[in-house]
Amino acid sequence: MSNEEIKDKLKSIVKPYVKNEEALANLTPDTDFINDLQVNSANLVDIILDVEEAFDITIDNQSMERMIDVKSTIEIIQNKLAEK
Amino acid sequence: MIGNDVVDLDLAHTESNWQRKGYLDKIFLAHEQDYILNSQRPEISIWLLWSMKEAAYKIYNRLTLKRSFIPLRLNCSDIEMNGCECIGKVTCDENIFFTKTAVFADHIHTIAVVRPQDFQKVSQIEESIEIKKRNGIPYISGNDISAVSVSHHGKFLERIILMNS
Repeated sequence: MSNEEIKDKLKSIVKPYVKNEEALANLTPDTDFINDLQVNSANLVDIILDVEEAFDITIDNQSMERMIDVKSTIEIIQNKLAEK
Repeated sequence: MIGNDVVDLDLAHTESNWQRKGYLDKIFLAHEQDYILNSQRPEISIWLLWSMKEAAYKIYNRLTLKRSFIPLRLNCSDIEMNGCECIGKVTCDENIFFTKTAVFADHIHTIAVVRPQDFQKVSQIEESIEIKKRNGIPYISGNDISAVSVSHHGKFLERIILMNS
């Protein structure tokens, strides 16, 4: 799966939790879920669980620690997909 | 150093489904899940422990200046509920943070400090005072950068300062 495809899928996953729609429309690799999209920190867990379901992967605790922006999340998804 | 966190309980109830499969495992350690599930009001206990972790994380973030999502490395312990006030500890690596939480019918507010005696020096920041942010960390001009903490959730906004630090 290309990074672009993952980004699109990720965009639809985070959408329900986003409070800043404009930042979502202009999503970049550097977009931060909490600071830019204004996702509530408790909903980061939902994003992580949704990502696991959507890509059929398991995100270990160490990877989860880095899942705060688009770039790291795409990288983690790519790594987990490669391990399958 | 200081950190605080407020949870709007009505909003948390609609925003988060803690009964979702895997949810508790991602943010709470086994002994914390036991505490939650054995408590009289599990949902209140979830947001109590969550706000303890968030308040402690805000101090930890200032120490490391590195952002990360580490709920499982923030270990809540020594939780003592006394009426609607709760004291506790949160450890992260070699750091120990002391927490004091006020539990209200509609919200929960936790303050974290690095020395228990600092609780006496915490006060609210007047509404007229502007709080700025640098690298995501709040501060007031002329004050030590580590002395201010802001938390906002739903209807609630808490702006606090550690005096004379």
